[in-house]
Amino acid sequence: MDIKRVILATILSALVLLGFDYFMPQSKTPAAIQGKPGAQQTVSSVTPPQQALTPPSASAAENDDSTAPARLPIEAVDVSGSVNLRGARLDDLVLREYHETVKPDSPLVRVLEERGGKEPNYIEFGWYGAPGQTTRLPDAHSLWKTNAPKLDSNAPVTLSWDNGAGLTFELVLSVDRDYMFAVTQRVHNATGETVSLVPYSRVVRGYTPVETGGMLVHEGPISVIGGRLAEESYKSLREGSTAPNYVSWTKSDKGGWAGITDKYWLAAVIPDQAADVTGTYGFDTPDGAYQVGFTRQQPLVVAPNGTGETAGHVFAGAKEVRLLERYEHELNIPDFWKAVDFGWFAFLTRPVFFVLDWLYQHLGSFALALLAFTLIVKTLFFPLASKGFRAAAAMREVAPKIQAIRERYKDNPVEMNQKVMALYREEGVSPASGCLPLLIQAPVFWCLYKDLYVTIEMRHAPFVGWIHDLSAPDPTNIFNLFGLIPFDPTHLSTMLWLGAWPIVYGVTIWLMQRSNPAATDPVQKQVFMMMPVIFTLFMARQPVGLVIYYCWNNLLTIGQQFVIKRVHENGKKKPKTTILPPVRRKG
Amino acid sequence: MSGNCPETGSAPGPAGRIASGLLIGIMHFWRIALSPMTGPNCRFHPTCSCYGIEAVSQHGSLRGGWLTMKRILRCNPWSAGGYDPVPPHAETGKSHVSDEGTAGNRA
Repeated sequence: MDIKRVILATILSALVLLGFDYFMPQSKTPAAIQGKPGAQQTVSSVTPPQQALTPPSASAAENDDSTAPARLPIEAVDVSGSVNLRGARLDDLVLREYHETVKPDSPLVRVLEERGGKEPNYIEFGWYGAPGQTTRLPDAHSLWKTNAPKLDSNAPVTLSWDNGAGLTFELVLSVDRDYMFAVTQRVHNATGETVSLVPYSRVVRGYTPVETGGMLVHEGPISVIGGRLAEESYKSLREGSTAPNYVSWTKSDKGGWAGITDKYWLAAVIPDQAADVTGTYGFDTPDGAYQVGFTRQQPLVVAPNGTGETAGHVFAGAKEVRLLERYEHELNIPDFWKAVDFGWFAFLTRPVFFVLDWLYQHLGSFALALLAFTLIVKTLFFPLASKGFRAAAAMREVAPKIQAIRERYKDNPVEMNQKVMALYREEGVSPASGCLPLLIQAPVFWCLYKDLYVTIEMRHAPFVGWIHDLSAPDPTNIFNLFGLIPFDPTHLSTMLWLGAWPIVYGVTIWLMQRSNPAATDPVQKQVFMMMPVIFTLFMARQPVGLVIYYCWNNLLTIGQQFVIKRVHENGKKKPKTTILPPVRRKG
Repeated sequence: MSGNCPETGSAPGPAGRIASGLLIGIMHFWRIALSPMTGPNCRFHPTCSCYGIEAVSQHGSLRGGWLTMKRILRCNPWSAGGYDPVPPHAETGKSHVSDEGTAGNRA
């Protein structure tokens, strides 16, 4: 029995370790898997994933003079890049405030990249004609004209393209100080006949990224349409899309937003919130590209000499929590905050984030905010912990007597219960805190874990010493003596990575065990000796912010235990009745 | 305090056995490895984890899990605590010692 329990505990610990490793892979993975490397190099015609509507009649055998690149520079406050005038695509954008690594000279984070690049990810706008209609429409090869030399946060720029047969298409672009583009798709009709056209906008991603967040964070296609969040995997798009439309999922409603998200970055299209639109997910198999976007349900009917237009937005940038909230309110984007994956327990994880953020604004450091938050939680729970400790100590004293009663009245549970209750009454024992308060603390830990993991605010948030990123594992490693030996042991095995903070953590666990009453059970003793080691190995690859939090939490627990013990021992000298009132039974 | 928790009876069906085995495993892990670090907290005898192991092994994962959940909810600062064994098969849910032993004793 005893040895069985040791084995059980060991297996369970191993399962927990392995399970976390499986579900929460770290971001230290090699670059990306290309979706369809062959296909995306060649420039083929755009095949819109749309039923009942004819694709643009003018195809690859094109049109505007050459294939020379033509770009309109974007020089905004938080983003820079360019608009591709060939096809009027947003396909070149970097974030000025975010670097790829903690090194300040590392490249800026790129959120949009052109087709044919290493990680193609771009925004496309276009029009479908009504069935049977042969109007020439702009496509990926159309060369658009611009009315300004660059796009900045001050004034909008109008791109235009004339189909040579009476239709002039316009794309009016403006960008704010952050990551939001306002986009108006417009068409002037000089054909002398009524024209019906359906505007669309979409995010196109021509590669499959390696997911960095595992089960903890959603990465991939995401949308809120009709008040419902739809998070799909890349795989489901690949497997659900078949010729000729290559659409795996659609949903029709008024407004919404849809895009493709990474752990920290998002590219999304946001249609006119008053318009009836259809959101679609799909994987253009020949092209090897994921497509997420919107099509208007009803065509714009443009009378002769009339103008038709639709106004929407494009978000391309970092998922800063407060910024998303602001856009949600200012632009009426439904549930835009859900772009950050706060999870099922968002009703807890979000408020905790806002508390942390508030503390951050006052303390100037997320690490300090984390420590302060823990202190607050501990203080709130202190009275309970103190009561619990006193009660448990009293309980321990009577435990042998209870055991004796249980043995004696084995066959008479009613009498046994009476005797036990009588004993409690005599000894004045009433345990005080209970298991529920203990379990209530678990969600707090979960919130911190989730917030550290998913919110960009924690990314590259520094702490003292060698910690420059709370959301990443401790960069030091004892197996190369913290860098003294020029050698990376993780080449041998990813297990050979144990930073300084996880070691401190193990020590605090050990100390905490010592501060509690020693186990009497020999099996428990053995398991106890293993626990600091198991926990340390487990924490080694978690975000270091969490490890620091746990160290601090353990130290506080030890201190609390010490204080309570002192108070308890002083209290013991007084008469017993002051500890707790005796329990009385009713009948 | 840490004596063995009796595991008696078995849940019917392989699926039920897997579920209850998993629950019991988790509770064993909690009891042996984690709970000692939080310090003793439980207001009852047997402790909640012990109760859970006994309840699930006796009544299966569904009923046993339900009983355990109720027990943990009972184990709060406003209940009296005390001796509260797992109800035997026949009497589950009815007026049993556990109910008397916990509700409204302190008033």
